Amino acid sequence: MAQPQKPNFPGHDLGDQFRFWPKHNEKIYERLESKHAWLEEKQAAAQGDGEPPATQKSELDPLENEMVLNIGPQHPATHGVLRCVVKLDGETIEKSVLDIGYLHRGIEKLAEHKTYQEFMPYTDRMDYLSPYSNNVAWCLAVEKLADIEVPERAQWIRMIMSELARISSHCLWLGVGMMDAGAVSGFVWTFQEREEIYSIMDEVAGARFTVSHSRIGGVSTDFSPRAIEMIRDFVEKFPDRVEGWEGLLNKNRIWIERNKGVGRVTKEEALELGLTGPNLRGSGVPYDIRRFEPYLKYDEVDFTIPVREEGDCLARYFLRLDEMKQSVRIIEQCLDRMTEGPIRADDAKQAYPSKDEVYYSMEGMIHDFMYTDVGTVPPKGAHSYHAIEAPKGELGFYLTSDGTGRPWRVRINAPSFTNLQAMEYMMEGSLVADTVVIIGSLDPVMGEADK
Amino acid sequence: MSTPDDPRTSDPQDPEELRFHFTPSDEPKPEQETDNPHAKATTRVPEVIEALRDEFGDAVLEVERYANEDTVYVEKRKIRPICRFLKEQGFDYFADLGGIDNFTEEDRYEVFYNLVSTERQKRIRLKIRVDEEDMRVPSVVEVYRAANWNEREAYDMFGFTFVDHPDPRRMYMPEDFDYHPLRKEFPQLGVPGSLPLPPQTPDGELTMDPFAAAHGSKPVKSYEEPATDPDSE
Repeated sequence: MAQPQKPNFPGHDLGDQFRFWPKHNEKIYERLESKHAWLEEKQAAAQGDGEPPATQKSELDPLENEMVLNIGPQHPATHGVLRCVVKLDGETIEKSVLDIGYLHRGIEKLAEHKTYQEFMPYTDRMDYLSPYSNNVAWCLAVEKLADIEVPERAQWIRMIMSELARISSHCLWLGVGMMDAGAVSGFVWTFQEREEIYSIMDEVAGARFTVSHSRIGGVSTDFSPRAIEMIRDFVEKFPDRVEGWEGLLNKNRIWIERNKGVGRVTKEEALELGLTGPNLRGSGVPYDIRRFEPYLKYDEVDFTIPVREEGDCLARYFLRLDEMKQSVRIIEQCLDRMTEGPIRADDAKQAYPSKDEVYYSMEGMIHDFMYTDVGTVPPKGAHSYHAIEAPKGELGFYLTSDGTGRPWRVRINAPSFTNLQAMEYMMEGSLVADTVVIIGSLDPVMGEADK
Repeated sequence: MSTPDDPRTSDPQDPEELRFHFTPSDEPKPEQETDNPHAKATTRVPEVIEALRDEFGDAVLEVERYANEDTVYVEKRKIRPICRFLKEQGFDYFADLGGIDNFTEEDRYEVFYNLVSTERQKRIRLKIRVDEEDMRVPSVVEVYRAANWNEREAYDMFGFTFVDHPDPRRMYMPEDFDYHPLRKEFPQLGVPGSLPLPPQTPDGELTMDPFAAAHGSKPVKSYEEPATDPDSE
């Protein structure tokens, strides 16, 4: 067998070592060393003058408690490809540096080469636990940029499906969170509910996971009677299921002790670190886009925004369970108030024509072709930001148009990215075993954080 | 807030407010802004802009409005004091930061800052222009800690140098990468050889170009083709 070829990096003599991207790792370790250098400087200054010599350093740590640990990127507890490089003092994390980008696909760049409608399937793959919310976020952003009005029925459909996506995302968070804390069977129970939501998505959109059901100017297909029946069934029995989980966890000593006081963030810290979504509200900041600047029909339905003051993992657990119950309330109201009517804007420059038109009229076919080829054309120089409250937090798109059918610049404000940034600071001072719980409770999705 | 610009409070009986079908045009017309069905009241901040003008005078260059969103262009060197001023004015939450490549001769790049005031229920967007010749941008991390990763990302994607940034590393791409991918001149399929990837076979060579076929050369296969004997036709 031939000897494997050694990678050749110009300017780096690696010898027999097989390493990728050597500069990258060096910089991470450098950062780990230099982080909070001021604290160590102060300690050194208090003891004597300046930096302690190397011999003295080993005397400070005679039992060699310090070590550098790489958690991830391939680790089940990191929920994807998150790499945490932590410096430990025994069991306590002294410093931590997060390395993300292992799932970076450059979708902001790809978006510049696609029409607005073509980009939709990419949004499914951002936060892949709640694809429908991303579709809606993208559509609303484009509609704001191109000034497209959406028919009322489509707005109700979008609302119902986004709330189902929220429930589905929170179900996964709960199941995986339980598994992180050691309760493996809970994972299967919450996945039962997710399976039902998948079936609803399948009935509505024709796909279980990456739905791409929303369209610019409306939605792709209307609800079938069976879909409405399935959603009604689901919202009827779902509160009982949540109660079941509460019965399992609310007085569970292991669950409480693993979560209480872990990963605590105060209100001021949460704002400063830019936490978003349930994590921000778990620290007492009532910032929810559904209230802050209502989109779709959120200003017409009755629901509350759960807020907790404690700011620890347990608060975030209670908050997400409350949010699921509120989502059920919203869906019930939507189903009752949904009006009959068109599901897409009736303008060939703004939305796709219906399939009936495409198949049976020449104009319909031309419009369909033109919309696929050119698509929506926002005015030149227009730029706008539209955010929605995705399950993970504020998901916003800042779009800039150059007057063609393709966006000039797409900026994605992904909630998982901002949450992960805060996590770097939350991990410091906690125990290694708690990182798993903290990652689980912040609920990051790497597909979104890495774009 | 119920300004006449708010589409939800506008009176449909008023002939001035009649809605027309949208036709694409080169310049956004002022009346379209108020007509936008997705416009929000939170994005109009005339009083904050007034306060900024009073405090900083000429550093506030111009104000743009589209879809009821106020964008304030400010001078690059003043961005940090302006952010500090806005934070004192109640804009306590830093939502987003990013770059834009306009691909123009002068002032090629822009950096935007999306700020939120949770108490006043307002949003504001600041923008600065950055010339290709001078890519230095004052970092706002000491004002908004949340800007840290966003600035790293903007550096990674566009190559801005954020002055006084505590952690000037790339965000997504490895440090061994020499380009800034979101610049307009960077090709969509990447630069062959810029980023070695793992071999496609256990004994194979490093993958230098994952899109070899698109670049006209022979693609790397993850399997070995059976050897063909040229004489066995």
